[in-house]
Amino acid sequence: MIGRLYLAYGLLVLGLMGVAQYRGWSFDSVSQRKDVPRSVRDNPGSYRSAYGASRRYTGGK
Amino acid sequence: MSADSPAAKALNCPKCGAPLTVRSFDHAVTIVCGSCGSILDAKDPALKILQEFEAKTRAVEPLIPLGTRGTMPDGPYEVIGLQQRTITVEGADYSWHEYLLFNPFKGFRYLTQYDGHWNDARPLRSLPAAVLGTRQRVSLDGVTYKHFQTAEARTTFVLGEFPWEVRVGEIALVSDYVAPPRLLSREATGNEATWSIGEYIPGRIVWEAFGLPGQPPRPVGVYANQPSPFRSLATTWRSFAVMAAVGLVLMIGMALSSLNAKVFERTYTFDARPQQAEREPSFVTDVFELKGHTSNVELTTRASVDNSWLVVNYALINQDTGQAYDFGREVSWYHGRDEDGDWSEGSSQDVAIIPSVPPGRYYLRVEPDTAPDRGAVRYNILVKRDVPRFLFYGVALLALAIPPAVATWRSLKFEHARWAEGGGAAPDIGSAA
Repeated sequence: MIGRLYLAYGLLVLGLMGVAQYRGWSFDSVSQRKDVPRSVRDNPGSYRSAYGASRRYTGGK
Repeated sequence: MSADSPAAKALNCPKCGAPLTVRSFDHAVTIVCGSCGSILDAKDPALKILQEFEAKTRAVEPLIPLGTRGTMPDGPYEVIGLQQRTITVEGADYSWHEYLLFNPFKGFRYLTQYDGHWNDARPLRSLPAAVLGTRQRVSLDGVTYKHFQTAEARTTFVLGEFPWEVRVGEIALVSDYVAPPRLLSREATGNEATWSIGEYIPGRIVWEAFGLPGQPPRPVGVYANQPSPFRSLATTWRSFAVMAAVGLVLMIGMALSSLNAKVFERTYTFDARPQQAEREPSFVTDVFELKGHTSNVELTTRASVDNSWLVVNYALINQDTGQAYDFGREVSWYHGRDEDGDWSEGSSQDVAIIPSVPPGRYYLRVEPDTAPDRGAVRYNILVKRDVPRFLFYGVALLALAIPPAVATWRSLKFEHARWAEGGGAAPDIGSAA
């Protein structure tokens, strides 16, 4: 019984591993945002990075 | 026992006149009066009193009443006697009960009970052999038994009839050897030693066999020959090894079939000195295409940092949908020498993994930053698509190892509890076996 449970658990773990690899999961932290305007390509400084509170932050343009 | 089993013989106690029932016929050597506790000579027609015993003050209530019939693996048996035996360890008394069972065609066997743990025992016909070079082990029928305990056991209560001359206060040196679920017991009195073999049985089996009402007493602690509930540990670890191997094959297969493709690489220079400070530091890269199914993107930043740092805020932006993945990375490398010798901290390279990015046309918005007094920093950005990550295999391996590791820990705890109860020097069985 325990052997079967462990087998089921193992298959679940290996299945998750396969999905994680195939779908490209990651432990790294990434913020997602939608509808970034196309104008960013012409004016990169207008983009507000979630990580952008640096010394060189220049405010809106 | 069948309906045509021989009938019990009825007698009366010569001391108190209480009726006595002899169930083992000519086999009985001693009978104990259930009323006054007198131990009587069953071989004497007048039932000579061998010992008067204060039964009422030390009365033990049998869990299986005398005269109860039950079905053991090799046939029906009747409970004809009960003996309580006690050992004293560091001033504390530990008592167990031995029920004597009889079948006129099969002979005698015992059921022993201690703290809710039961053993089905029978006398041994052949003697165990001493294992060469140690008193700690004996061998029987190819099975090695490990010495568990040796102690002086004294008889503290008797009831019913026995095929030997039983006395309250009788002392025997009892040695137990275990190979769960079996237990070999050696009892030595003077120059004589007898052996028996027992097998651990759950209380509910005894209850079912004798049709006893209610529930058996709940077992307390771990008994000497109690089978470990973790016996299948080796099988579980073998299953772990098989699944680890399957996982490795799966991972290698997926790694070989992944794209692992370089989609963008470029080297830039960033200067944060005051004369450059007015320039907008952020910029965007050319558009590149991420092909295949939804998968990861690996972004590597290599920078010419030397006792300095570079922080880059990235946004991976889908040209067509406006979906952006925002993340910041730091590349810093510091090194030097102090009283402990050379030291180093950080690296001139950083790798970030952006998870589950759908296919499409993307570009990077890059915003670098560094210390203003360090001059120009050259840095390289490399983007790869669908990169195999063996980290997942490592995580899976850890997850797979949790159940067998926990079971192993619990098994060790169980065995520790078993052996914590053992003790005493093993006897030399070579001469007195």
